[in-house]
Parts: sequence; C-alpha cells; structure tokens
Amino acid sequence: MPRVLIVEDDPAFRTRYAAMLAHDASFDVVASVGTGGEGLAMLDLRKPDILLVDLGLPDVSGIDVIRHANRTLPTCECMVVTVFGDEEHVLASIEAGATGYLLKDASEESFLSGIRELMNGGSPISPIIARRLLRRFQAEGPVPSPPANTSPNEAFNVALSDREREILLLASKGFNYPEMGKLMSISPHTVTSHVKKIYRKLAVHSRGEAVFEANRMGLIRTL
Amino acid sequence: MSLRGGCAAILLGSVIASAGLSYGQSQPLEPRPAADSSAGIELAEAEFVLTGEIQQPNPQVAWQTVALPDSWHKLPRDRSRLGWYRLRFNLDNAPESPQAIYLPRVTNNIALHVNGVLLGVSGNLERREMSWNLAQFFVVPPRMLNAGRNEILIRLHPDGMLRAGLSRVHVGEESQMRALFDRRILFQSTAPKFIAALLGLTAILSISLWASRRQETVFGFFALLCLAMKARLWHTFARDIDSWGWVIAAPSISWMMATQTYFVLRFCGQTSPRFERFIALFAVASTLLLLLTSSAGVVAATFVINSLVSLAMLAVLGRALTRVPKLENLTLLAAVVINFLLAMHDLVNYQEWFDFDTLYILPLGGPLILFAMAILLIRRYVEVLQQHEALNSELVSRVRQRESQLTDSYEHLRLLDQQRATAEERQRLMRDMHDGIGSHLMSTLALARVSSLSQHQMEETLTDCIDELKLTIDSLESVESDLLVVLGNLRYRLEPRLQAAGITLVWAVNDLPPLAYLDPENVRSVLRIVQEAFTNTLKHAHAQRITLSTGVDYANGRVFVRVTDDGVGLDNSKPAGRGCDNMKNRASKLHGAVEVLSLKGGGTCVNLYLPLARIG
Repeated sequence: MPRVLIVEDDPAFRTRYAAMLAHDASFDVVASVGTGGEGLAMLDLRKPDILLVDLGLPDVSGIDVIRHANRTLPTCECMVVTVFGDEEHVLASIEAGATGYLLKDASEESFLSGIRELMNGGSPISPIIARRLLRRFQAEGPVPSPPANTSPNEAFNVALSDREREILLLASKGFNYPEMGKLMSISPHTVTSHVKKIYRKLAVHSRGEAVFEANRMGLIRTL
Repeated sequence: MSLRGGCAAILLGSVIASAGLSYGQSQPLEPRPAADSSAGIELAEAEFVLTGEIQQPNPQVAWQTVALPDSWHKLPRDRSRLGWYRLRFNLDNAPESPQAIYLPRVTNNIALHVNGVLLGVSGNLERREMSWNLAQFFVVPPRMLNAGRNEILIRLHPDGMLRAGLSRVHVGEESQMRALFDRRILFQSTAPKFIAALLGLTAILSISLWASRRQETVFGFFALLCLAMKARLWHTFARDIDSWGWVIAAPSISWMMATQTYFVLRFCGQTSPRFERFIALFAVASTLLLLLTSSAGVVAATFVINSLVSLAMLAVLGRALTRVPKLENLTLLAAVVINFLLAMHDLVNYQEWFDFDTLYILPLGGPLILFAMAILLIRRYVEVLQQHEALNSELVSRVRQRESQLTDSYEHLRLLDQQRATAEERQRLMRDMHDGIGSHLMSTLALARVSSLSQHQMEETLTDCIDELKLTIDSLESVESDLLVVLGNLRYRLEPRLQAAGITLVWAVNDLPPLAYLDPENVRSVLRIVQEAFTNTLKHAHAQRITLSTGVDYANGRVFVRVTDDGVGLDNSKPAGRGCDNMKNRASKLHGAVEVLSLKGGGTCVNLYLPLARIG
C-alpha cells in the first residue's frame, strides 16, 4: 500500500488532503506535517512512497523538501500541490525532482485520480508547460554527438527522443493524453509515462552533478 | 634637457669646426732651409718672367724676383701670355725616398718641371680651366733631385682670366707633403662635395614634406635655400670656366640671401612683406645683370651691393628670430650670423686682402642651417608625439567618462522602463480585478446581504472567482504568439468541469501561424471570449458535445476559432444576452469579430475571427 507524507502549512488543506486520502483505502497517510523541517525529518524517518508538498512553507522551501526526497528516496514520487498550477512553480518543482502536481481546488475525484495516475507511472502536463519544456530542450536544435569522455548512456538520458518531442508538441497544442495516443498510435498510458520521463530528464539537468554535463552537451542554455 | 644639451653640443662643435678651418698655411716666412729635413722646405720666393711661348724661356730673359704667394690680382700683367716661376733650393744630400711638391693653391692650370724635366700638369692645358680652390700635389722620384742646387720651373696658364697666382711651394718627403695636401683638400674640396650632396638630399626630402603639407611653406623655402647653397657650391668643383657652375656662381649669392630670408621668416612665424618683396626683386635683378654682362666692374659692384643687402637681411632676420627666443630660433640665428661672417670672410678673401692661399669657407656653413632645421623638426616631432599622447590619454578618460555616463543613463532608462512596465502591469491588473474577480465578489456580497446564500451558490461564486484568477494568471504566461497554447491551456482548465457535466470536448485544432500581437492583455481577451462561449454552452445549451476547431482563412487575412455544440441552440425570441455583447466588444478591440449562429440541426456555433496581423 503506497505510504503518503503530507507537508502543508495550511491546517484546513492538510486536513482535507488527509480526509480525501483516508476515503481511499489504497493509500496510507504515514504523516501529515505543517513545516518543511518536519517534512524533512519525516522523509528520513518514514520513507514514504508519495510526498505531497506545498511550495509556500513557513521555514524550508517546498523545493528543498522535494530535492531532499529525490536524493535520499529515489523511488518516492513527489507531487506539488499548487494554487494555480502556474508555470513558475511547476517548473521549479519538476527541476527539483517532482513528477506530478495537483491543484489545491481540485475535486476529490481528480485529486485522487492524479495521485493514482502518478503511481501508475504517468504525469500530467499543461500546454504552457509543454511549450516551455519544448523550448528548453530545443534551444540548440538536434543534440550533438556526446563528447568522448561522456558515457553514451548518460548523454542519451538527458536528450529528448523524437517521440518525447512529439508528445510535448501535441501537448502544447492542447491535445489530451487519449487524443495524443490516438494521433501517435500508442496507448494513453504510454504517453503519460513519456511525460514522466521528460520530467525526470529536466530534473537531471538541474541536479548539481549533472549541470556540467548538460551544459557541455548544449542541451540547455539557462537553468 | 638632453635635447637642448645635444643641440648645444652639436652647435658648439659646428662653430669650432667652422672657425677651426684654420688657414692651412702659416704666416709669410723667409724661405726656410731644410734645417729639419722631415718638415720639408717652404719656398716663399721665386723668380718670375712673362713670355708668349710654351717652350722654357731661354737663358737670356730677365728674371724678376717675386715673393710667394704671388697674386696677379692687382698687377697689370698680360693675362694672354704665360707666366714662368723659377724656384731654387738646396739639398744637403740626394734623397733616397720619394719626395713631393705641394702647392696649397693654384688658381690656374700649371705645368711643373723639376731640374729641367716636366714632372706633371694640373689639368687639361688645352682648355681654359680654373681650379678655384684646389691644392696641387706632384710626386718627385728621388733620382730627379740632386745634392746641392735644384730648380723647380712652373708654367702658369692665365688663359685670359682675371685671377691668376701661385701660393708658396712646399717640397719634402712624399708622406709629409701628402698629409698636408690631404688636410687642405679636405676643407677645400671633400667637405664641400659632401655638403653639396647633403644639401641636394635635404632639398628632395624638404620638397616631399612640403608637397604633402602645402600650407607649411617653410619646407618649400628651405628646399629652395638648400638648392641655392648647392648652386653656390657648384663652382668650387667645376673647373671649366665656361660651364654653368661658373655662370651661376655670382648670382647664386643673391638667391641664397632671398631664399634664406623667406625661409627664416617662415621658420619663426614672422613676416616682413616689404623686405621680402625687395630681396626677391634684388635676386632677380642681380641675376639678370650678372648673366647679361660679364664686366668685372659689375661683378665687383654686385658684391658690394650684396654685402649691404645681406647686412639689412641680417638685421631683419635677427629681429624676427629674437622676437620669440626659442632654442630653434636662436640656433638658426647663430647659423645665419655665422654664415654671414663666413660670407664676409670670403668676400674679403676674394678681394685678396688676405693671403693668396687663404681658404674660402662659406661652403662649409651650409650644415649649420641644416642643423637648425633639424632642431626645429625634432622639436616639432617630439611636441606632436607628446600632444598625441596627451590627446590619447584625454580621449581614453573622456571615453571612460562617457561610458559611465551612458551606463548611468542606460540604468536610468532601464529603471524608468521598469517603472513604466510595473505601472502598466498594475493598471492592467487593477482593471482586471475591478471587472473580474472584484465585481464577482461584490455581487456575491450584495447577494449575501439581502439573502442567505446556499452552499451551492457560494461554491459557484467562489469557483467563478478562482476561474477569473486562473485566467488572469494564464494570460501572464509567455505564449510567444501561439494561440493554440492559449486555447489548450483553457481546455486544460475547463476539462475537469466539462467532464463533470458529462460533456465531451472534441479538440479539432489545426496549426495556426504566430499572431505577433498576442500580449497578455490580448491573450486575456481571447480567453474571455472563448471561455464565455463555453460557459454559455455549459449553462444554457444542455449539450453533450462541444467541438473546438481552429483554422486559417488566408483569403480574408484572418484565423478563426469555432466553438460548436449540439445543444438546444439560441432562443431567437430573446435578444442576444450581455455575454454575447461582451464577446463582440472584446473581439472588436482585437480588430476581430464574433458571430453567434444557430445551427440547423440544433446547437450553437460561435465563430471568433482574429486578424493574422494587427492592422493599425
């Protein structure tokens, strides 16, 4: 049973998330805390499978909590809960290692389905974020052949595949996963798992140890 | 300063060198027997006779004793005949090494015999030749001389020329005589030749300089002065009395004076228009006079006039050069004065008031003028370099100053720009709050005051408010002219609600060209229009299916966004609602249009047309 950690400073929302998750027997809320510090402690202590985190915490930034989770618990899925799902917050979270995001005003149904989708290996994406990602990855055009001293595997990992590129393009035009699947003759589930892979690649860019390699391969100009 | 020191040293050296052209001869002496055979013998007395034949005079002629040097200048001797000089001297022993005879100055061609044997001639006896300033040197084989009495016989060819004469005669060891001869010839001939070459070269350089800087006439006149001095030097090497070198010898003095006047005045930046005119006229007049007549009287008169004019010149130039006592002016003044003195010396020498074998030294004065000019040029060059450096550093500092000013003003502009952008953004958001979320909240509050709101109403109102906020936030995202992203994001927002209402959204978009005018404000207008279309359908149409399609109408220069539903269609009995008017107003602000149509088979179609490019 997926174990969920909730880090949210607003008690009303914290209670609401816990209540929604409690309605679904397939989730186990292991802790629900109101500060980033507690969140970090709980990450180390409880080692959850899912982290639901708010970005605007009073002490530590939600981004730092995500980064910590991503570093210490590679299998933990991090989800940001944002008010507007706007580009700045979502992109920053993805760079830190989040693979999904939820809106605070989401209905219980879409809230839970979002988490379930993530557990099944899929991530949501809005057209604006798709477009921004496309711009970031495409800034330098085709990926140059990796330098001799970089392992081919590593280089491949941070470059977008043609399929991923196409998915971002379709997403930016407003198509949803089932439509994209139909247009690309793949299942919607495959589409959404591709999106998750794209998020992972973006996170690799922003991880300290990978920034150098990424820059050298001319993948991104500004991070 | 090293420049000044160097100049002074060179000047001093030049003066000493000029003055030190010590007359390479001693004071008149009694014939000096060879007390010390290594010093040679100086013969100061000869016997003279004038004959008409080239053969040695027969023993009966009456020899007349004359002192050497013997100048014919003031003597009524017949210049068409030949002059013979017989010099006798005793030797204690017959020499064993080569001996030589050295004559410091012979103005005319001579043939020299020793003990009856012709030893040599000074030049081409067939021509009239004048060796103006030249010494002569004859090597005497030892066997030609005897112990006891020896005789030198010199035949002088005056060739009808005014000047004739013979200096003292030296006899001695060849090496010693050659040393004397070499020293004499250095000042008589070698140095003037070298100076002539130098003057020619300087004239060429100066003319080139003047050619590239026409306004600096000082270089032009300097070149002319050099040429005049060079012309003056010519007759000291030319031996043919009828050649140009001798023709221009006399007038070239007036050229030197005229060009020197023009040069010096320009050198020190002074003017003396009357004197300049006068001296130019004087040069032309004296040249014509000397070329047209060859009378000795005219030549002599010219020299007197030259002296007077050059005194006047000295006064004019002296005043001009001392007006601004700069180093180069004073150097030039020294050069001019020294040259004047040299000229006076030569003039007096020409009158043979000095010894006959006294050197002519004006030719050696040329370098002094060159030297003064060199100082001027060096000073100017150094000044220009210093000015250049000063200018450079000033430029650098000015550029820096300008740069920092630019940075400041750029920073200022940037701040202004930022303030303006912030103000505009604030205004836009204020308007948005006022029209959107503000009015929603106000109407909800008004409603809440008059009656209690149901939970459903409350939720609906708050959802509307949040939708408004989301729409505003989405409009602020950078979409880079891409309308599909805008529409896609709206779909992303609305999809959950459509799904909840059981409505299927068919997404039938075609690619659209970039619309450059899609700034946040215009994006928001587009979003409002399309959202209104969706909201109307959701609220009134009872539809199950909404289709959104896009496309380009190139013929009319516009794109369209079409929202159709399969609902109940418009109620034509009622006038179009406020929402519909709002859509149309917003569209016209975008230079577009909205049409709302009822479809035949039921349902509504909202067409939003937007221009491809904003006109006006």
